[in-house]
Amino acid sequence: MCFLMILGGAVLKPLFAAAPVAWEQPAAELAGQIAAILGPGQARLTIRNLSTIPNDEIPAIRQLLTQNLKAHGISIAGAESANTIRVTLSESARERILVAEVGEGDRMQVAMVDLGPVRLPTTVPAAGLMLRSQQIFAEGERVLAVLESSGWLVVVEPEALVQYGKSNDGWKEQKRLAVDSKRGMARDPRSIIVPAPIDRLDGFDAFDGAAKCSGVFGMTEPGEWPAQCADSDDPWVIANEAGAQGAAGGSTAELKAFYNAARNYFTGVVTPSIGVDLPSFYSAALIPRSAGNGALLIGGIDGKVQLAENGMLKPVAGTRDWGSDFAVLHSGCGAGTQIIASGSGEAVNDSLRAYELPALEAMPASAPLAVDGTVTALWTAPDGKSIFAVVRNAANQYEVDRVTALCN
Amino acid sequence: MLRRFAISFLVVLLGVCAGARTRPHYGGSLRVEIEGDPWQSPDGMARRLVLDGLTALDADGGVTPALATEWKSDDNDHRWQFRLRSGIHFHDGSPLTANAVVMSLNLSCTANCPWTAVRAVGSSVVFTSDSPMPNLPALLAGDAYLIALTRTEDGQTPANPIGTGPFQLTNSNNGVLTLTANENCWQGRPFLDQIAITANRPIHDQWLDLSTGRADIVEAPAQDLRLAQQQRLTVVVSPPVELLALQVSDTGALANPVLRAAIAQAVDRGALSNVIFQKQGEITASLLPQSLTGYAFLFPAERDLNKANELRGGLTPPPLTMAVNGDGTMQLAAQRIALNLHEAGFTVQVATGHNNARADLVLRKLPLEGADSADALAILLHAAGENASVTWQGPSALFRAEHDFLDLHTIVPLLELPRAYATGERVRDLKLRADGTPDLADASVEGAQ
Repeated sequence: MCFLMILGGAVLKPLFAAAPVAWEQPAAELAGQIAAILGPGQARLTIRNLSTIPNDEIPAIRQLLTQNLKAHGISIAGAESANTIRVTLSESARERILVAEVGEGDRMQVAMVDLGPVRLPTTVPAAGLMLRSQQIFAEGERVLAVLESSGWLVVVEPEALVQYGKSNDGWKEQKRLAVDSKRGMARDPRSIIVPAPIDRLDGFDAFDGAAKCSGVFGMTEPGEWPAQCADSDDPWVIANEAGAQGAAGGSTAELKAFYNAARNYFTGVVTPSIGVDLPSFYSAALIPRSAGNGALLIGGIDGKVQLAENGMLKPVAGTRDWGSDFAVLHSGCGAGTQIIASGSGEAVNDSLRAYELPALEAMPASAPLAVDGTVTALWTAPDGKSIFAVVRNAANQYEVDRVTALCN
Repeated sequence: MLRRFAISFLVVLLGVCAGARTRPHYGGSLRVEIEGDPWQSPDGMARRLVLDGLTALDADGGVTPALATEWKSDDNDHRWQFRLRSGIHFHDGSPLTANAVVMSLNLSCTANCPWTAVRAVGSSVVFTSDSPMPNLPALLAGDAYLIALTRTEDGQTPANPIGTGPFQLTNSNNGVLTLTANENCWQGRPFLDQIAITANRPIHDQWLDLSTGRADIVEAPAQDLRLAQQQRLTVVVSPPVELLALQVSDTGALANPVLRAAIAQAVDRGALSNVIFQKQGEITASLLPQSLTGYAFLFPAERDLNKANELRGGLTPPPLTMAVNGDGTMQLAAQRIALNLHEAGFTVQVATGHNNARADLVLRKLPLEGADSADALAILLHAAGENASVTWQGPSALFRAEHDFLDLHTIVPLLELPRAYATGERVRDLKLRADGTPDLADASVEGAQ
């Protein structure tokens, strides 16, 4: 089963945290610069911290600086010294610096050492049925969808289809195919990429609303990637029985939905018909029900989450905190299947949370899993046992995370 | 500082609690009111909705492709080639060509151009200069170099600005601009169908219209942010995006650098921040903010009247004139600075006009944009009329460059100021650009379908 979706968000975290610094080299470099200004003699040393570097690292920094200055012939003296060295641990939004203001009488000079970037903290997963995420891909360009197979990764961007090959250094771009649709696109384009039908071994189909691209994973010859795109308004595969049951392998029954390429939602027309008229929706998931039948969960553009079951459309309660995107996860934990929904509330960053749907009320099945940005797409992996989330971080970088569940 | 920097990115929600984040809806219209002219440069609100640049700054200030998809420099940054995005059309249907870009740039850049010559080469635009232009991609993202159609296909000069942006001008009547969505925008059709911008509306009237539902987005100047909080308005606040600075002429009465240094020591930034800007400005003596460099604390911002008098010594400068670029608050700030300088032995007359060229002092706001500190410094200096090229060679080199420039005392940094906008309940997904202006192309309204 494969589909994609979006947005949500919640969980404010500390914004910056200091990565550990090996102080030997910067302390030696700063001491060298100070010595070049001051020359041998005595000086008073003070240290202050204007950064997120923990204060308990200051004694070690002082010791290293003292040692290195001594090696340059500068001994640390008390307040009686006319020479002063005021060291400041400082940082910008991106990097940390070690600054020394070196005073000789009225004359003040500055020495500076770059300590490298400030890094964002890693997400700590919550307790309970525990969601955890693992980054599988990161990219500066906007990522709409990805699909991985046999050491190859195909990434759908707004104007290109890109194939990456796995190397020791991670994913490396191998080939780029421009997607030049003649139709206007939406402000927030979406896409899906799904395994091709079983008669096209190791193939894929990607839809971006205005075009359909088909190809295979890997190269037939070096530099040769059999993939092509054409304008298409074919409906997108939004669910299949294999995904719904959590089974790997080719599917038989597929549910497809027509997408409004000039906007960002599905029109509500699905094929084959499920016996009930659907409103326009952002996302849909086929979920197993206790009676053995499947039911289609849809997130409408009016914000309502409804369940299409037995020819009827019923509202689902407990979804107030949901964003527009959700995907089904066949974790094997608890009821076996959970819905992973994005949400944000008032927080800067989004979160993902697992819910179960025993009846017509969504029940939280995990604590929220914070992500480092905004979830811009969400879909179930082909085997149904994990979901993929595209996250855009504060620096406008995109990453794709694989989200799985740990049973308790 | 970092926490303040980070927090200032947030939408300050004082009125209505947000629900879960959902995808934006297409459709609907927004009513925006502003105090100034929507076409003014820089920062006219309509300009960036209708026009695009060859490059753009993303929300964090990084340079990104816009009408140009790629660029490269040769000859030690003396020559730059920008390749145009294919298939782009102006709002009137005429194609975007390299010639059209060159004509637009030649028209918009009449003085203080970063380049010596610009010409079309196939589907590329080539800039050349006698001096290196390491910051050209960032400078081209500036408001001054947005691309407009200068000649229609039938040879006429357009009566109204025609661009390639997400909205096109469809009506202008009684001070209200009506902008309509560009269905074929290369960046994707905007969410909103229409934006109505009411120009030259006083702040008080804007807020009244917001409270009565007649406006959706209005301005909230820095000095009024406290009042906005008291009135529980929903306000979107940018990080500091403008540097309030005193530009000091290095000719005429202030040709002596010692007098300029005395002026720099005499200004009382604390009073400006506390009294005039209601503690919403960050006191600074550096050009670039601490959040961008990490070293801004090295420039002392305290007033030292004794030193100012000492520097001036026995010199009695002739009466000085100070011009002001800005609104009534800027006038008040100028009066305050004149008072500061009077205490240091200077006589300053605040001019009511805007004849900057002949003034000894100009109080103005300069842009704090760009994620790259070297680019940010170049953008700021360019706006101040200096054609400086700044290459990133580490924080020490940048500090030296900034220190050496400030040592000339031709620009005296005073306060870093944010931009802010108050929004009505219908507005969602309003984010601010790197320059602090609202990105209405990505905004939407609740309930649109």
